[in-house]
Amino acid sequence: MNFKITMQRMAIALSLVLFASIAWAAQVTYQLRVDGLACPFCAYGIEKKLNALPGVERLETNIKEGTVIVMMKDGATLDRATARQAVKDAGFTLKGFEQVLPGDGR
Amino acid sequence: MTSAESEGMRRAGLLGLGLTLFAAATGAPGKLHAAPETFNTALPVAEGEFVFREQFLYIKASDDPSPADRDVEILGGISVLGYGVTGDLALFGVLPYLDKQLDRTASGGRRVTRGTSGIGDVQLFARYTVFQKDMRGRSLRVAPFVGLKLPTGDDDDSDGLGRLPQPLQLGSGSWDPFGGVIATYQTLDYQVDAQLSYKANTEANGFEFGDELRFDTSLQYRLWPRELGAGVPGFLYGVIETNLLHQAKNAIGGRDDPNSGATTLFLSPGLQYVTKRWVLEAIVQIPVVQDLNGTALEDDFTVRAGFRVNF
Repeated sequence: MNFKITMQRMAIALSLVLFASIAWAAQVTYQLRVDGLACPFCAYGIEKKLNALPGVERLETNIKEGTVIVMMKDGATLDRATARQAVKDAGFTLKGFEQVLPGDGR
Repeated sequence: MTSAESEGMRRAGLLGLGLTLFAAATGAPGKLHAAPETFNTALPVAEGEFVFREQFLYIKASDDPSPADRDVEILGGISVLGYGVTGDLALFGVLPYLDKQLDRTASGGRRVTRGTSGIGDVQLFARYTVFQKDMRGRSLRVAPFVGLKLPTGDDDDSDGLGRLPQPLQLGSGSWDPFGGVIATYQTLDYQVDAQLSYKANTEANGFEFGDELRFDTSLQYRLWPRELGAGVPGFLYGVIETNLLHQAKNAIGGRDDPNSGATTLFLSPGLQYVTKRWVLEAIVQIPVVQDLNGTALEDDFTVRAGFRVNF
C-alpha cells in the first residue's frame, strides 16, 4: 500500500516537473543588443525584419539601451545567426544575443 | 554666333532666372531618413523595404539688378521613393512636380507673366554604404552615390509670347549624370551629415546648364524629449543646415551666358519630428552669400515642408 502511494506521489511530482518544464519552455524571450540604433525611424526597419522571422510574436525596442526584446510564440526559438542576419538586412549590427530567463526582470 | 543664338542669349540674359534657384529646387537628390532636409543621408533603407518622402517647396526670387524687375515664384512637390536592395545598397527615384511663374517688366513698362506647371525631370540614383561603424546608440557611415537625371519634363513649352526661356521650362531636355559622397554620424542626442556632390549638365535644345558643385552640411539636435526613457519615443530635432552651391555659367549655342552662373551659400534653420513610422519636417533656406554673374536674379528664400513614411 505504501509502495502504491509512493509511486502515485512520484508520478504526480514528475508530472508537475514535466508540466513546469513545458510551460517554461513554451514561450522563449531573447534580448538583442543592436549597435547603430540611434533614431526612431531606424527602429522601424529593424522591427520589421525581426517581425518577419518565423515564430516571433512580439517585440519591444528600447532605443536608449539599444536593445530589442524578442518574444517568441509557444515552442518557437530563435538562433543568433538568424537574428544577426535580420539585423544586418535592416542595415545595423547585432552586438549581443541572449535568452532572457524568467525572473530576469527584463 | 547666329542671330537666333544671339536672341536666345539676350532672352536668357533678360529672363535668366538665377541658376541656384532651379538647382535648389530639384538639385539635391532624395533625402529619406531622419536626416537632413535639404540633401541626403548615409543611413540605411532596410532590405526589401520602401521609404517614401513628399516635400513641398516654395521658392521666391525677386531681387533683380536689371530694369526687367523680375519676380519668380516656384511652387512644387518633390516625391522620393527609396528601396533597400540590401542593408547597404539602396535605390532612389525622385519625381518633381513644379509650377513656375515669372513676372517681368516688358517694353512699354507693362508687366508680363509667363509660366508653366507639370512633371519635371526624374532623377534615379543608387547609394552604397562603403564604411559603417556601429556602436551602442551611435553610428558612423560613409556612402557614395551615382545617378542620372532623365529628360522627363517638358522642355519645349510655350505660351502666347512664344517658347518659354529654357530656365522656365519644366525639364532641361538633357541626360545629366551626377554623383557624390555622404558621411553621417548619428547619436541618440544629435546627428551630423555632410555631402559633396557634382552634377555634369549636358546640352539639349542648344542650351546647356552650367555644371553644379555642392557641399552640404547638417546638424540635427534632439530638443525633446530631453531625457530618454524606455521604448521608442518620438524625437523633436532642431535642424541647422548649410548648402554651398557653385554653378558654372550656362552655354547657349556653345557660348557662355555672362548673366548666369553663381556661387551661393544658404543657411537653413528647421524643425523635424521623427517617429518610427513617419517624419514631419519644415525648413527655410536663406541665402547668406550670393555671388552672381551679370544680371542673374538673386534668391530671396526657399521654404520646404513635408513628410516621410516607412512602409
